[in-house]
Amino acid sequence: MTTSQLDKMRLELRRGVLVLAVLASLKQRHYGYSLRKQLQDRGIDIDEGTLYPLVRRLAEQGLLDSEWQQAEGRERRYYLLSEQGKELLAQLTDEWLQLNSALGPLLTQDQSGETE
Amino acid sequence: MELVERYVAAVQRELPEDKRQEIGRELNANIMDQLDALKEQQGQLSEDDVAAVLKQMGRPRVVAYQFIPPKALVAAEDMPLLKHTLYMVLGVLFVLQVIGATTHWMGSSDGNLIRFLLQLTFGFLDEACFAFTAIVLSFAAVNSSGQRVGRCAGKDWSPKQLPKADLGWQHISLTDVFTDLATYLFLLIVIWHPLWMNPEQITDRSVTFTTDALLMLQWFSPVIVFSVLLSLWQLQQRIWNRGLLLSSIVVNAAFVVFLVVLAFSGPLLQAGPVELKSLFTVLQLEKGFTYGLLITACFPGYEVVRDLWRFNKLN
Repeated sequence: MTTSQLDKMRLELRRGVLVLAVLASLKQRHYGYSLRKQLQDRGIDIDEGTLYPLVRRLAEQGLLDSEWQQAEGRERRYYLLSEQGKELLAQLTDEWLQLNSALGPLLTQDQSGETE
Repeated sequence: MELVERYVAAVQRELPEDKRQEIGRELNANIMDQLDALKEQQGQLSEDDVAAVLKQMGRPRVVAYQFIPPKALVAAEDMPLLKHTLYMVLGVLFVLQVIGATTHWMGSSDGNLIRFLLQLTFGFLDEACFAFTAIVLSFAAVNSSGQRVGRCAGKDWSPKQLPKADLGWQHISLTDVFTDLATYLFLLIVIWHPLWMNPEQITDRSVTFTTDALLMLQWFSPVIVFSVLLSLWQLQQRIWNRGLLLSSIVVNAAFVVFLVVLAFSGPLLQAGPVELKSLFTVLQLEKGFTYGLLITACFPGYEVVRDLWRFNKLN
């Protein structure tokens, strides 16, 4: 597999998971940069060109509440999971856990080379 | 921080007007946070440091597209329908162009074949460009309102109607149908030229069909009309079935017999009132025409054999 193929696959794999990570992070209030820092600290590196538009899209879908606030002499837009966002996050978390528990054995089985 | 302002303004220029202010405001806040974090690490920032951060964020246009991704002119969901519509409309335009070009060619005094082909090609290209633009823009207009052209349910279908997997030939190609239609209409226009050409135009010609040849061609016209109907039936069905194959065998067999009989019923051509200005004499043209008819007969002959084999496969 070439590097570009790997990058493309990785991007596809991460796309859906990033939504979940952002929604989960925004159980606490964050502004753009602090959200990115928090995700980075948890090992999820996401560039600003992906994160900021994603957050805006989620807010436009009503999954996040947002408000502008003055802080440290500058304005910032803070985001927090909305009620609708909380419901969706709960459903997506169940889905993720189910997928993960099904996928885990599959991936382990591949690694050990077993067929059954 | 003038660089940041310039950068944000450049991004805003690429955004729809109603989104510019809000996205610009948010982008500015995010960049300032990033610069603050860098200042904490490095101390005072130079203009080059700021430029490096902005460069790393990407070109203003790319950043704008990340916020508001550009929409495709036609939705991917509608692409198959768009392609089908283009095929159908361009096919019909080709047939109409053949009619127009043939009529013009028959009416012109010199009957120049190259001029006929050029008129056919450029006339078709001209109309095809217009049709292509009009169709794509219509799809784009419907899509821009958030609707999909191909969302209607269409006629009911059943998996049982699908052709067998190992019979790939069962699908009728649109190109074949429109080529056949254009050929049949061309023949009808040539055969019935005395009906629509005025006497002066006919007397302008240097070579014409003999009366017997023309009579034979006219008697064969019902078969050509039936072929046109058969093509329209194929267009509606799009899958070869026994009825279509049987009709096709009958029509092609009729073409073979007729072409061979016509080839041996000479003379087919005669000198017209105007002197022939050609490299060939009428006799040579007659011979060429006869061989042409026999060679042409091979094509429907091949289709008869092919369709008999297919008919057998469908049993």
